[in-house]
Amino acid sequence: MLQRSIVVRLLDDFARRKATKDLGYFLAVTTLENIGEGRVRENTGEVLFPVVFSGITFKIFRGEVLDGTVHKVLKHGVFLKCGPVENIYLTCSKMPDYRYVQAENPVFLSEKNPKIEKDVVVRVIVIGTKWLEAEREFQALVSLEGDFLGPVSCENPLD
Amino acid sequence: MSGEEEENAAELKIGDEFLKAKCLMNCEVAIILHHKYEQLQQTSDDPMNQVSQVFEKSLQYVKRFSRYKNPDAVRQLCVLGNLCPETVEEAIAMVPSIKTRGRAHDDEAIEKMLNDLSLIKKFE
Repeated sequence: MLQRSIVVRLLDDFARRKATKDLGYFLAVTTLENIGEGRVRENTGEVLFPVVFSGITFKIFRGEVLDGTVHKVLKHGVFLKCGPVENIYLTCSKMPDYRYVQAENPVFLSEKNPKIEKDVVVRVIVIGTKWLEAEREFQALVSLEGDFLGPVSCENPLD
Repeated sequence: MSGEEEENAAELKIGDEFLKAKCLMNCEVAIILHHKYEQLQQTSDDPMNQVSQVFEKSLQYVKRFSRYKNPDAVRQLCVLGNLCPETVEEAIAMVPSIKTRGRAHDDEAIEKMLNDLSLIKKFE
């Protein structure tokens, strides 16, 4: 009974924490290794149990190459999302050869490479990340300048 | 960890926490998250309401970007990588399913797999 409520509290707090600057986004708790001795807090009478657990987190790093999905196309660049990170900005100055074409569904076109539009998967390199303390979120700037970067055909469309 | 400015994945400067941590493939994360999701499904009528936004978005992402559709094959490869068998017979003894399940590799394919893995070993 007690163990159950400690687990529930842990899962709850874990989900609520969302992310930290050092560890990145909190995806899931995998194992609860240890529940320590409970300590009563003097003022409130609450009991505090230290717990040791493992979990999966996701963090993006500068210099990393990753795949993202375009979710917004603007005149000066596009926003990608990559799992929990939704504000990944690819500016047009980092898209060599691409030019913006205004239309109902705006696109970036290139002579040599496939077009970049909404829902296209793009392989990019991260050139900078920023942690927003207030929102508990990461933002990233990415670029297409590098070998083998650009739109990729994904064999696994959303199932 | 030494300041954000220092981080650079290209040089494997990713902070102590992540150097110590295990790196998972998207398909592995998909298996774990999907399992969690199924557990929730049993206890709740509306599981998507129970999970955090981070969980939901991550599950979608790893599902979409799982390059390996066959989780059996991935597990087999992980076990082989951990155990480092040297011969095909040894590999089959440790992971009998490579012969029987999933893609059911023939000896030549297993041999090639072991060669590929041993290359990684030597480069370290």
